[in-house]
Amino acid sequence: MKTPARRLAEKVQSIQESNVFNIRSGELPTWCPGCGYFGIHFGINNALQRLGLDHHQVVIVSGIGCAGRYPFFSNTYGHHTVHGRSLPVAQGVKLGNPNLTVLAVGGDGDGLGIGGGHFPHAARRNFDINYVLFDNSIYGLTKGQPSPSTPKGFKTKASPEGTVDQPLNATLLALSYGATFVARLFAGDPEGITTALMAGIRHKGFSFFHVYTSCVTFDKQFKTWNNLTNRVRPLPAGYDPADRRRAIERVLVDDDSLGIFYQEPPKGKE
Amino acid sequence: MNRIDLTIEICGLSGDGTIAAGGLLNEAMSRAGFSALAFDSYPAEIRGFGRCVTRSRFGFDRQIALENQTNLLISLDDEQSLSRLPFLAADAVVLFDNHPPSPVAEGKSIAGHARPAMSLFGAPFRDLAAAASGSAKGRNLAALGVLAGLLNLPVDAFRERIGKKFKSKGEKVAAGNIRSFDAGLEYVLKTYPDRLRPLPVPAAPAGQAEKVLWSGNVAIGEGALAAGLKNYFGYPITPATPIMEYLAARLPAKGGRVLQVEDEISAIGAVLGSFYTGARAMTATSGPGFALMTELITQAVSAESPAVIVDAQRGGPSTGLPTKTEQSDLLAAVFGGPGDTPRIVIAPTDVTECYHLTARAFPLAEKYQTPVIVLTDFYLDNRVENIERPSISADAVADALLKPAPDQAGSYHRYQVTPSGISPRALPGTPGFQHNITGLEHDERGVPDFSPGNHQKMSDKRDRKIQGALADLDPPEEYGDPGPLDVGVVAWGSTFGSALDAVQSARDQGLKVGCLKITALFPYHEDRIQAFMDRSKTILIPELNHSGQLNTLIGHLGRGRIVRLNQSTGIPLYPSTILGKIHELIGEDRS
Repeated sequence: MKTPARRLAEKVQSIQESNVFNIRSGELPTWCPGCGYFGIHFGINNALQRLGLDHHQVVIVSGIGCAGRYPFFSNTYGHHTVHGRSLPVAQGVKLGNPNLTVLAVGGDGDGLGIGGGHFPHAARRNFDINYVLFDNSIYGLTKGQPSPSTPKGFKTKASPEGTVDQPLNATLLALSYGATFVARLFAGDPEGITTALMAGIRHKGFSFFHVYTSCVTFDKQFKTWNNLTNRVRPLPAGYDPADRRRAIERVLVDDDSLGIFYQEPPKGKE
Repeated sequence: MNRIDLTIEICGLSGDGTIAAGGLLNEAMSRAGFSALAFDSYPAEIRGFGRCVTRSRFGFDRQIALENQTNLLISLDDEQSLSRLPFLAADAVVLFDNHPPSPVAEGKSIAGHARPAMSLFGAPFRDLAAAASGSAKGRNLAALGVLAGLLNLPVDAFRERIGKKFKSKGEKVAAGNIRSFDAGLEYVLKTYPDRLRPLPVPAAPAGQAEKVLWSGNVAIGEGALAAGLKNYFGYPITPATPIMEYLAARLPAKGGRVLQVEDEISAIGAVLGSFYTGARAMTATSGPGFALMTELITQAVSAESPAVIVDAQRGGPSTGLPTKTEQSDLLAAVFGGPGDTPRIVIAPTDVTECYHLTARAFPLAEKYQTPVIVLTDFYLDNRVENIERPSISADAVADALLKPAPDQAGSYHRYQVTPSGISPRALPGTPGFQHNITGLEHDERGVPDFSPGNHQKMSDKRDRKIQGALADLDPPEEYGDPGPLDVGVVAWGSTFGSALDAVQSARDQGLKVGCLKITALFPYHEDRIQAFMDRSKTILIPELNHSGQLNTLIGHLGRGRIVRLNQSTGIPLYPSTILGKIHELIGEDRS
């Protein structure tokens, strides 16, 4: 009979043999204990490993914020740019060397606030890059101000009476901007992230990953682990991701389903 | 043989074909062997019913500046042309339409305002064009015909250029326009046979290099192509847009890409991304767009990313004067942005230098891993000069990237501190050299590090690196006699040509004056600039801005009297203005 210690030892060994940590750099993530970003990190790393991509062929571009630090924690090439500008730089990287696998990562403030003007154009240009939006609906690195995706009524030091603006829905935006691959994911489901990332990286075109995640330090009210875990569920079985219109209709009324909402079917060879 | 110095102006209302006629005139005169420098003035609104003026200076010698006096005016609209009277020479020649469609309002006919010594030549431009081609639209070409006949210019050169220009509109339009030109020509020969003023034509050029009639913007595009530009990212803005359009027509055929992106921030971001992978990239903008790029430019300084940025200055601040010229982005280009951000700023002074400095900006950016800002201005971007077709050697634009030694795989430090400040740079895709670049202060590995010693060390490194670039930048060039000068003029950008023209005139008058051309604005050659200043009793710094930005940058090097000559009018500084100031300064000294 296996003792708990034995089972743990076997698990550790299997993780080591999977080489899943090889893609991590020696830098300790600066994220708070319990941060959802660890789950996203794990999900992305797994995808890159399982796809068998050489680490030196991957470039991760980021903006500013807690998610902006992401590249420092990966043993790939990384370009930590300024606030909101990961997408322009990522497109330049892809045009500069199309053989590279290019990821842009960033938070909701970075991508929907200051950088919101680049998102539609990156989507409609449809370069083969992958954009992962870490959406915890808060500015964490500046200690808890409301972001463009913060639900109404969120009280912070910057919004003492509660937020009043309509939150942005990044999945809906991506679908309407014409992104050719759109997935909604959850930091508490790294395996789901890995699966979608693998499909999205393989997809030739602009792939968007909207990842729900939690800021354990500054949001005790809305996007907490408990709330998110209770809300989310997979897209219904048999959901057909080939229909943009149906995807938009679903996203308009469904904030909670996770999975690949839309993937443009491959066109015939040109 | 007489030296020719002839400035011709065409003035009309937008829609009169003024700019088109000016362009044809420049092309035909260039083809006939004249040297040319031309600059148009037009309103910022496409349909604004504004005044359009083309000014072209022709001669046998190379033209380096426009002067503020016009020898010959072609009036396509008398009401507009009246405003040009103050700029006409006392003995100017005026060509005008003597049968306009409706009687010119009382007092608005240019003929009624000409001074006594001027020569007037009336010709029914509209009627001639209408009779020849069936449309009065060709009145600008009939006017050119009158001009060509009056001065005995090589008419075949005109006919050829007209035919070529209108070819795309069909044979019928092209032929009609040539007939309009011919009608003007015949009219003047028949009507004023005793008053013709044949102009000496330059001797046929023998064994001369091919000449091209280029604007500064074309030269910038050609320079970038010569340097093997791979990706151009831009956003429309006057006066830089023609660079994007020029490259859009040519770069794809060379395997490159031109992308019009959503804003200037995106443009500079994509330039940084492309250069990061080793693919040469460029963007061009003007003041307002340059302001938007500032943050990423400072990121590039910190992350040590190459970039080539053309800032085609126009009148500022803010949206300012979109179609007027100014040199008021100098300090923004050199210092703009948060933090200490040394970068390379170079400024051409003529069309040929637009080509060379743009081409050389790429290896500079690569070698020193920094943004290189090529600072031009409207007067330089939009002027045309006929110049010997420039070329640059493959060596001068060769890949200047310093790569790390292969044995550093696995232990590579992106920001290794070196005596030169230059750290070997590995390109993405190189196995074993993975690293991060960042605008956060970082240690040699590229990992954020905000410790006091590290920030000092890295700030020193970046400064040392840029100062070291002086070795690859053109030193200032001196013009005039060596030895003590009563006035030493220090100039940059488009103003330099006017300064040199003024200094040449002053020297012809026996005055002890000289001129210093500065193209390396940052870093700059302190010793050379100071040496010139030290032998000048008075240092004169003429600039097209209000605050004297070059003086702010380098004035501290002067140990004698420094006098600024600043003009915020949106129009070029003319040699006569600078010459007047030189006279004033020397007169003060003598009185």
